[in-house]
Amino acid sequence: MTTLDIYIDDKPLKVEPGKTILEVCRENDIDIPTMCHLDGLTDVGACRLCLVEIEGVNKLQSSCTTKVSANMVIHTQTERLKRYRRITTELFFAERNHICAVCVANGNCELQQLGYKVGMDHIRYPYLFPSCEVDTSHDYMVMDHNRCIMCTRCVRVCGEVEGAYNWDVMNRGFNVRIISDFNTPWGESGTCTSCGKCMHACPTGAIWPKSLSGEQLHKNPEMISELVKKRKMNL
Amino acid sequence: MKPGLLTTSAELSKTDPRVKLIAAKIKKENARPEALIEILHTAQNAYGYLPMNVLSYITHSLHLPPSRVYAAVTFYHFFSLKSKGEHTCLVCTGTACYVKGAQAILHELEKQFGIKAGHVTADQKLGIQVARCVGACGLAPVVVLDDVVEAKVNADQIIQEIRAKIS
Repeated sequence: MTTLDIYIDDKPLKVEPGKTILEVCRENDIDIPTMCHLDGLTDVGACRLCLVEIEGVNKLQSSCTTKVSANMVIHTQTERLKRYRRITTELFFAERNHICAVCVANGNCELQQLGYKVGMDHIRYPYLFPSCEVDTSHDYMVMDHNRCIMCTRCVRVCGEVEGAYNWDVMNRGFNVRIISDFNTPWGESGTCTSCGKCMHACPTGAIWPKSLSGEQLHKNPEMISELVKKRKMNL
Repeated sequence: MKPGLLTTSAELSKTDPRVKLIAAKIKKENARPEALIEILHTAQNAYGYLPMNVLSYITHSLHLPPSRVYAAVTFYHFFSLKSKGEHTCLVCTGTACYVKGAQAILHELEKQFGIKAGHVTADQKLGIQVARCVGACGLAPVVVLDDVVEAKVNADQIIQEIRAKIS
């Protein structure tokens, strides 16, 4: 089998063609933070956390959507990238109304963990305080747009894994929102199968089960990655 | 599928020429999901905006998820879910028009007709909209009245023209 020679953080590696930079990094224990990536789902490069520097390329590239090519020299832990990762994280927190203290996901939240990881001790940007709805119309799940970071993992898991296509994204820019059907209440959805995959895929406390209160939420996104693998098996 | 979510053509009047137009377009495109935007164009041309029952009908005909159709409609500014009114007055607020006093014209229009930009008068006669740039900066300030570009306008002249149209 042909392999490609690449360098990641000055370390020479032999990798299979067709893989993304992120895949290679994860296989070689090189830590790159991500939010919108979930093993098993299509990568969209939405969160901009996995940006890496590639020598000879002017712009930073998202490692989840960039495939390795021969003789690539990649840097993943430069000061610039660390600075950008912290900026991106702060912008996540500034965009909507993330208040950990009153969140069911407190202590079990990927966004909160990211904040700790990049060393975010305060937020240098003005909070936008958008007015967001909380959709409690579903029988046993809640969609809280205040805590949504628009990673679209719920949208992709619903379409690609469950095949229901209940979720999508409406509007643009500051006004983007996750919608169910025709921007109708989730509980009235004609497409939702109430499977709960979106709840497990969601990295924050935006989608959570009604039965829980403060800090009880434990999500299992790995279950979705396993599910995708098992569906390809032919037992 | 819950009842009422996806209406079929039965709930739209079959004798309505606008419905026939959309049905013909869907047939011409073989109900391909990729033709969604083309079909939405036809619908918007027929109705002036996209009523929800028409969206349901298109969604149903193309076997698309409702969320995907709604996402496409809200992504493109060309499509509108609300009636734009019988007559439309679009004020360009691009840089050149802004410098030439587009804001003052817009304020005067809003004051005269008692509606804000993006809204329609109570009698559905007039809708005022704004655009970032209509691509005619040499003619600034520009107002587009019912798809006719009016060059180097002043507020009084535009108000007179609108009054003539809606009276």
